[in-house]
Amino acid sequence: MTALLHKSWAFITKDFRIESGYKLNFLMRIAESLMILIFFYFLSALMTSHNGGALGRYGGRYFPFALIGLAFARYFDLTLRMFSDSIRLAQVTGCLEAMLSSQTNCVAVVLMSSLYSLISGAVQLCVILVAGAFLFGADLSRMNVPATLLVVLLSIATFVAFGVLSAAAIVWLKKGDPITWIVGGAGSILGGAYFPITVMPGWLQKVSLVIPIRYSLDALRLTMLEGYSLVMVARPLITLTAIVTVLLPASLWLFAATIQKGRKEGTLIEY
Amino acid sequence: MTESQALVAPTSNQGSSQRAPIISARNVTMRFPIVKRYREMILHPFRPRRTCTALDGITLEIEQGDRIAVLGPNGAGKTTLLKLIGGLLLPTQGEIVVNGFDTLEHNSAARKSVGFVLNEERSFFWRLSGVQNLEFFGALDNLWGVELQNRITELMGLVGLEEAGEKTISGYSSGMKQRLALARGLIAQPEVLILDEPTRALDPVACDEFLELILGRIHRDSRKTLLIATHRLEEAVKLCNKVLIIDRGHVKAFGFLANLAKDKVTLLQYYRQALIAEAK
Repeated sequence: MTALLHKSWAFITKDFRIESGYKLNFLMRIAESLMILIFFYFLSALMTSHNGGALGRYGGRYFPFALIGLAFARYFDLTLRMFSDSIRLAQVTGCLEAMLSSQTNCVAVVLMSSLYSLISGAVQLCVILVAGAFLFGADLSRMNVPATLLVVLLSIATFVAFGVLSAAAIVWLKKGDPITWIVGGAGSILGGAYFPITVMPGWLQKVSLVIPIRYSLDALRLTMLEGYSLVMVARPLITLTAIVTVLLPASLWLFAATIQKGRKEGTLIEY
Repeated sequence: MTESQALVAPTSNQGSSQRAPIISARNVTMRFPIVKRYREMILHPFRPRRTCTALDGITLEIEQGDRIAVLGPNGAGKTTLLKLIGGLLLPTQGEIVVNGFDTLEHNSAARKSVGFVLNEERSFFWRLSGVQNLEFFGALDNLWGVELQNRITELMGLVGLEEAGEKTISGYSSGMKQRLALARGLIAQPEVLILDEPTRALDPVACDEFLELILGRIHRDSRKTLLIATHRLEEAVKLCNKVLIIDRGHVKAFGFLANLAKDKVTLLQYYRQALIAEAK
C-alpha cells in the first residue's frame, strides 16, 4: 500500500512538473471553459421566456442546467480519454518501454499515469462551477453536497471503467479507439449535456438510455440544483452502480489481457 | 558435428560450471505477427495472421558475473533476446528463467534482477531534470525518501553527472543521456545489466569514456552480469569475457573470448566464421 502511494505521488509530481513547464496551458484551458460559459450565459438570457416544461425538472432555468452539463461533460470526457491518451503519449515520447522495464506492474503504470489528469481536471471543474455561481449567478445554494459527491464518485468510476476499456482498445488497435468515439462522441449529443433529453424525438430518447452520462448528469442536476437526496436519485444511481460493478472488473481484466498479448506479440510499444 | 555447432563452446571447460546460471533460456522461440493487409482480410478473414520468427529455439545459460557481448547482423534477433531476458517481451514458446523466476509466470519478480539500459534517447522526460527523471524511475523501482535521494546522489556521481543533475534532459548531450540511462538501469541495484547498443549514438571520445565507466566502475565494483548488444567488435573485446553470436534467430556461436586468443583467432574472424558456417 505504501509503495502504491509513493508511486502514485511520483506520477502526480512528475506530471505536475512537466505541466508547470507549459505555463499558459492550464490557464488557457480554464479560459476556454469560461468562454464557453459566457456563450451559454447569453444563450440562456435569450431563452428565459421559452424554458417551458423541458427544464422544469431542473428548476426551469437554462444557465444552471447548461453549467452543470458543460462542467461535468468535459470532466467525464477527460476521464474517458485520459488512460488511452497517457498510453499513446508514453508510446510516442518513448518513455513507455522505460516504465515497463521497471518493477511496477504494467496495468498500475497506465492507471497511475492518469492521476494527474484526474486531479487537474477536477480543479478545472471546480473553477468552472465557482465561476458559474459567483460570476454568472447560477443558483447552487440548494445543493445536497453529500449526495452530489457520491454521484460524482460513482460517475468517475463509471467513466474510469470505460476509460480502461478505451485504453485496451488503444493497446490493441493503436489508433481509432471505438469506445471513446461511441461513449464520448454519442454522449456529448445524446447524453443531455447542453439540452434536455426530453426535447429529442422519442426514438433518440430511447437510444440515449444506453448512454451512461445521461444518468450522471440527470442525478447531478437534481442533487445540485434541486437538492434531491440519494433516495430521490436512486434510479440513476442504481444504473451507474450496475455499470461500475460489471464493467470495472471486466475492463481491468480485459486491459491486463491486452497488455499480456502486447508483450507476447511485441506490439506494446508500437504506435 | 558441423562447423557452426563447433563454435558453440561449452561453458563447463572453464571451470565455472559450479555456479548456477543466473539466466537460462530453454528452447525459446519468438514470433511476431504480421499485420494483415486489407486484401488478405477480405479474401481470408479467418486465416491466422502470418508470423515472422525473430528467435527460433534458443537455448543458453548465462552464469553470474559473465560479461557477454551479443553480436549479430541487423535483424538477427539480438534486441529481441535482450528484451525477452529483461521481461519486456514474453516468448511465444519456451521459457526464460532469470535468477530463479520464469519471465512468463513471475514477470515482476524476474524483472527485479534486471536493469535495462535502453539506447532510446527519448526514453526520458525531456522537460524534467536528470535528478527528477531518476526520482520518478526510482519510485517505480520501489525506492523513495532518503534511500532514493542517497542512491541518486551516488549514481549521479558514479556516471559523472553530479554537476548536471539539475539541468533538464533537453540540454543533455547524447553521451550524457546514455550515462543517465546507465544510472537509471542501475538504480534498483540489479544483478543483471542489459545494454542494447549503448554506444550507438556516441562520438569516439564519449564512447571510450562510457566503456571505461562500465568496465572500470560498474563491473569492477559490483561484478554484475552484463549483456551488451553491439556491432563494435573492439567494444566486445574490451568489455566482455564471452561472445554470443546470433543470426536469423539462431545461436551461431557462444564461447569464451579467451579461447580465441589461445587459438590465435581474432573476434572478426570468429564472427565471420560463425556467420559463414550457417550460410554453408
